[in-house]
Amino acid sequence: MELKRVQKLLGGGRLSDESFITIFMCGVLVIVFGLACLVVPNFYLPQNILNLVTNNWYIVILGIGVSFLLITGNFDMSVGGVIALTGVLSVYFCQGVNVSQNALANGLGMPYVVAVLLALVCALGVGAVNAFFIAKLKVPSIIVTLGTAMLARGAAQVITQGAQRNTSLPDAFGVLGSLGIPGTTIRLPVLIMIALIIIALIFEKKTVFGRRVYLIGANSEAASLSGINVSKYLTALYILSALLAGITGILLASEYKAGFSSRAIGYEFDALVITLLGGVSIAGGFGSTLGMFVGATILSVVTSASTGLLLSPDWQFTLKGIVTFAAILAQRFALDKRKG
Amino acid sequence: MKPTENILEIRALVKDFPGVRAVNNVSFDIKRNTVHCLVGENGAGKSTLIKILTGAYTRTSGRILLSGEEYNPRNTRDAKQKGISTLFQELNVVDQLTVEENLTLGVEDTTFGFLRKTDKINKIISVLNSIEPSIKPQQLVSTLSVAKKQIVEIAKAVAAESNIIIMDEPTAAISESEIERLFTIIKSLREKNVTVIYISHRLDEIFKLGDYVTVMRDGKHIETKPLTEIQDRSELIKLMIGKTIFEQYIPREVECPDTILQVKNVSNHRLNNISFDVHAGEIVGFYGLVGAGKTELARAIYGLDEYEGDIVFKGQKLQPSPDKAIKAGIALVPEERRSQGLFTILTIRSNVPVMNMSKISSKGFINDTTERNCALEYVDKLKIATSSIEKEAAKLSGGNQQKVVLSKCLFADADLLMMDEPTRGIDVGAKSEIYNLIRRLSKEGKTILIFSSELPEIMNICDSIYLLYDGSLKSTLRNGCEVNCEKILHIVTGGE
Amino acid sequence: MNTMKKETLRLKLDRSETIKSNIKRYYIYVVLVLMVLTLSLVKLDQGNFFERGQFLSPDSIINLLRSSVPIMILSGAFTLLMISGYIDLSVGSAMSLNAVVFAWMILNGFSFWPALIVTLLTGSVLGFINGFLAMKLRITPVIATLVTLNLFKGLALLIVPDGLSAIKGSAEKVMPAWINDFARKDILLGLPWAFWGAVLVILLLVIVQRKTILGKYAAAIGGNRLAAELSGINTVNIVWLLYIIVGVFAALAGVARASYMSLGDPLSGDGMETNCLIAVLLGGTAFSGGEGSVIKSVVGSLIIICVTIGLMTVIPAYWQTAARGIVLIVAVVLNHLLVRKQVKA
Repeated sequence: MELKRVQKLLGGGRLSDESFITIFMCGVLVIVFGLACLVVPNFYLPQNILNLVTNNWYIVILGIGVSFLLITGNFDMSVGGVIALTGVLSVYFCQGVNVSQNALANGLGMPYVVAVLLALVCALGVGAVNAFFIAKLKVPSIIVTLGTAMLARGAAQVITQGAQRNTSLPDAFGVLGSLGIPGTTIRLPVLIMIALIIIALIFEKKTVFGRRVYLIGANSEAASLSGINVSKYLTALYILSALLAGITGILLASEYKAGFSSRAIGYEFDALVITLLGGVSIAGGFGSTLGMFVGATILSVVTSASTGLLLSPDWQFTLKGIVTFAAILAQRFALDKRKG
Repeated sequence: MKPTENILEIRALVKDFPGVRAVNNVSFDIKRNTVHCLVGENGAGKSTLIKILTGAYTRTSGRILLSGEEYNPRNTRDAKQKGISTLFQELNVVDQLTVEENLTLGVEDTTFGFLRKTDKINKIISVLNSIEPSIKPQQLVSTLSVAKKQIVEIAKAVAAESNIIIMDEPTAAISESEIERLFTIIKSLREKNVTVIYISHRLDEIFKLGDYVTVMRDGKHIETKPLTEIQDRSELIKLMIGKTIFEQYIPREVECPDTILQVKNVSNHRLNNISFDVHAGEIVGFYGLVGAGKTELARAIYGLDEYEGDIVFKGQKLQPSPDKAIKAGIALVPEERRSQGLFTILTIRSNVPVMNMSKISSKGFINDTTERNCALEYVDKLKIATSSIEKEAAKLSGGNQQKVVLSKCLFADADLLMMDEPTRGIDVGAKSEIYNLIRRLSKEGKTILIFSSELPEIMNICDSIYLLYDGSLKSTLRNGCEVNCEKILHIVTGGE
Repeated sequence: MNTMKKETLRLKLDRSETIKSNIKRYYIYVVLVLMVLTLSLVKLDQGNFFERGQFLSPDSIINLLRSSVPIMILSGAFTLLMISGYIDLSVGSAMSLNAVVFAWMILNGFSFWPALIVTLLTGSVLGFINGFLAMKLRITPVIATLVTLNLFKGLALLIVPDGLSAIKGSAEKVMPAWINDFARKDILLGLPWAFWGAVLVILLLVIVQRKTILGKYAAAIGGNRLAAELSGINTVNIVWLLYIIVGVFAALAGVARASYMSLGDPLSGDGMETNCLIAVLLGGTAFSGGEGSVIKSVVGSLIIICVTIGLMTVIPAYWQTAARGIVLIVAVVLNHLLVRKQVKA
């Protein structure tokens, strides 16, 4: 083929809906940020901007798993429960054996590393349960994951008798949570978040795995006719999501040096919110982790600004709800307008 | 007003689509209270004509008179109100409701929202009773067989005082005894002031059931006659085929006599003990009309449906799953390209490599340049008309969409390519290109199975022709000048 | 397939279908009876919820029924919506918001009926919003109602003054004692107005489901939306109405709750939506729509109450969540086994 024709064929193609939404939400981010700068003193300081991006690292990590699943048209509301469970387990497994009268201070005495690994295995177990019901039995994902959320959190509550476990811990326990780049506020979890985001972006755009996830979301029948084992992919994604939640749980437990059964309440909602804000559509096959990150930043701006304005936690919560509400309306209108 | 003798008068009806004239100046009458059959091959224009009658399409030009008055429905609800009901192949009943609830759906009588049993309701139920007393109004529709569900739909249409009930291939999914019952009911509808327009490929049924028959071919009206004036099947078949000149099939020697595919006694819910062998490099055509089992056979080979029996490909027993079939070297171009074959919201570039990602990736990472080049290569090879490989597949024309689906399958380096209705809804030019492509692929050594309900297509390119009817393989023949099209049509419409 | 084979298969299917459908119809009552029996036989050491440690004593039963009013009401309306194939996950927060509104009104001097009416109006507005998002804007119901869940919860939190956890009486402003009457005062057989009111509205729902056109259309839309539309049914408006009904019932539930607790707690509805899902799943409602029974869902909600309150006396409180999780998974499995789309013969 002549060069000119090749060039023509390679170009063209208008901006995909996905890129359009990502840019749209970036615009929203800029607007929201601008508004915040106007009303909150010192909002534009570099340290504050850094905080915006790093403060909700845990939601972003969760968001990775939730985004991939939402692209295929499925939910995962169990991530909050998994965080609580792995946190509690990581404590329980390495608490000293028989050191105290108080049952909550006694554990299984394993080395920290083993405790972490075992806790993660349990997280994978939750993911597997999700996958079984959703991919194999084809039960709607919203119901299943609400159920496993309760199971996971319930297990955490049982192990901590409704409170927390934070005593007789080995020294190694707090290490992960305290590591960071010296001289800055950037700690290990944030670095992990950045690494995971980059990996997620690469996976999404550049690997066969990621491409197939999009294909399943775009048209699952065509995907299976094209030889993609949809059930296998969903299983992998649910296990991945649980693993990410597990890692987050370990990091949070280490940071607070405690396994708290009420950790991460509501995190699954936030993860879903940032995914929606980022333009991932349950209709299938589009959205991206980058958009999710933009959504996370928008949420961060809203939360941070509300704190700066000294709004009560209730106001912050409501503001989050209003912003999400407005965002899904706006996205619907923008997309409908674009279509015709 | 005195009811006219003709309930429907069609005058110079034309329907154009971009690039094709589906209905070409059709004129005929349908007499009131008769069973009027509509026959013709695929592509003859029957379904387009029906869609115009039911308001799904708007005509390009021409007139339709319903009971003497101008009839121009804007949508399907309009047509329904004017008294035209349709029974589709997909049943339109709610399984979870009772028969009575289905019959009265949308026409209930209520007081303050409470459902009342009024005379109107009783009348509706009595209509069902007069048609098929064995169906009790309180039964759940889910417990009924397909045939009985159809009867419920018929009763609903009659009770809604439809003057015309259109039935599209109603016998495709029901048993012999049920068909007899259905026919008795249809014939009795004439006494209930209903005209039935009956579309079917099963010519025996036409002879059993019909008062009149209209034959269409290539969008044109060929003939409308009382069935009493037609001697036998072959006369009807002659009218259906006419003097269509098929593109010359050039007989050729199949290079490789090795058997590449063996289907042994395959049966399932739709297939009846099918056995055949296919040699490498052959182009085999499976011809049959609606409900013959073509798609089901393709799905069984591809591993989508369960079956009893064995399918052996390249000496190995085939495992029942599409990804194993693809790995073994089989690819399927599905029947519905939009919902099954393509990822319409994705670009051409993203669609092409889907079935063989390892060719554009290494160690799991996609190589963008290779991906682009592959898309370019196929756009060139198949002459896909597009301004860019970044165009969404949804935006292409039917023919080009099909070419993208073909690219997908070719990319999978399949040795056996199965194509289900490869040129349905595609314009003549693109059809021709696809046929040439098929021939080229065959020369390159690929084996191709074509499943089609268009006889000219089969005659055009296939080396062997396998005839299917009602899930059974009825006959096989080699293509060539001696092939008797009438005999073929005879077999696929139920003859022996 | 030849006719003989088809016929034999059909007979086989028929017989197993009859057994299956009988199991389907009655198992939930069996479960309830089993539950009650188990709980009454187990020795009750912990908690002082039950008088004299007896599950089947009149006082225990009265307590049980009184606190089950909200979930009974909610699961009934929830069922009707699910039958049409749609879902509302915001029912819990809607209930909280309504409870807060009602409590606020009572606290600020309004009498029962005006407060009730305002709360009902609030509930219908909330339902209207859900319907608008799901039907008019065609946003996936799960996502739409998850968003409104958070929105309603936030609004409820905002109404409660800072520093307080709920709208309740204090030294300056006293919550009238009669607020309790609705949900606690003995009217008939030891049970309060709230209970008998609940019985009444549930009966209404049952009548609507079985005898009115709304119930029929809900089942039609859930069973085969296309067939419903082709028959001329305005599916958008019907389901929208169902969302509003759910909203109104959430208001009733909120009133009952506020009355029972003498306060308006913005977090009182947390977890209600999961309870509704469990009740509805146990009651045999198909998630895809078309099938369901208000009565059975209400029985399901009684089972949940038995689990949460009954088990509370047997096991420590911190087992609650896990127990509910297990019940949900069990309900999912049961539902999956018994309620599956009929295979067309």
